[in-house]
Amino acid sequence: MINAEFLMLLGGVGAFVMTLYWVRVRELRERYAIGWLLVATLLLLTGLFPDVLKTLADRAHLSYPALVLFVALGLIYMNSFFVSVALTKHYRWNVRLTQQMALLEERLRRLEDAHGPVPIEQIETETE
Amino acid sequence: MRHLIVIPAFNEEEALPRTVERLQGLPAGYEILIVNDGSADRTRDVAAALASTSRLPLHVAHLPVNCGIGVAVQTGYRFAVADGGYQNVIQFDADGQHDADFIKSLVERCEQEQLDLCVGSRFIRDFGPGSRSTFARRIGIRFFAWLIGFMSGVRVTDPTSGFRCLGPRAWRRFADSYPEDFPEPESLFWCARNGLRVGELPVRMFERQGGVSSIRKLKAAYYMVKVSLAILFDRIRRTEVARVAPQPTV
Repeated sequence: MINAEFLMLLGGVGAFVMTLYWVRVRELRERYAIGWLLVATLLLLTGLFPDVLKTLADRAHLSYPALVLFVALGLIYMNSFFVSVALTKHYRWNVRLTQQMALLEERLRRLEDAHGPVPIEQIETETE
Repeated sequence: MRHLIVIPAFNEEEALPRTVERLQGLPAGYEILIVNDGSADRTRDVAAALASTSRLPLHVAHLPVNCGIGVAVQTGYRFAVADGGYQNVIQFDADGQHDADFIKSLVERCEQEQLDLCVGSRFIRDFGPGSRSTFARRIGIRFFAWLIGFMSGVRVTDPTSGFRCLGPRAWRRFADSYPEDFPEPESLFWCARNGLRVGELPVRMFERQGGVSSIRKLKAAYYMVKVSLAILFDRIRRTEVARVAPQPTV
């Protein structure tokens, strides 16, 4: 019979398989996989040992669904927050690269104006 | 002594030639950098054509995608750092709103009073109708002036003005870190709070001659909230520069 514990167990196994698959095909970096493996572990543990959540719910004077919702929202919040942090960092890198490219292009144009265009073959020979 | 005039340009094919033409009256020592901010119109070609005819040295940097006014202006500061030979960097709008006749005065004021940032203000002297923005914008500008004064103790009249001259201490720091969108009030507050010397000079401004304002009506509310929050956030950061002599009165 399907119940909350069984669904958590199923979700935990699914999360493990999915995370490992994406890391294996190098579509997910290991540093991000750690967080998702922790989520999968949490799901598995709560599926295997449902009494842990029930005890916690009793102690916090919450119903079982309310506690599950609270934990799930907490995880979603944490994940979204750190995605925003990562996006901010990546935005800054992108800006720096874009600016650097624009400035290098300007410098190259100036050099070519002064000395004439440099043939691609010459650059390739010099860098070999 | 060399000075760099940075002109951020986003879809300014119409106004750019007239703006650059107005700058040609400046003496030797001034150089121009047009930062084409990923324009979708012919700004790139227009800027390249202007570079070949300009009397003053004119450089053009093309950002491959539209990054916003803050990133475009910061590209100018980074250009100045890479060159290493400029004394002051002047921010000047491409849309023809700023009067090139005041550039020399801004630079002279910066040097005479050893300012790190001299802002061209529309509100110190009345230069006639159309030079002082709309009523709604003036309310927003007064609010930011009050907020900056309240948070830093430095009194300014036109914190949103994009017509400004920066000394090496300011532009070198901004080359490293500069607000992304609507950067003027935030960068002014940063200078004021970190003990950099800030001043203002009355300047005349004109109506826009073309292009699209970076602050449209729908963006106005976001602009007010974002800039206010940015100033508040900056207030809780540590100061970065050792405080220098007391602020000159504006």
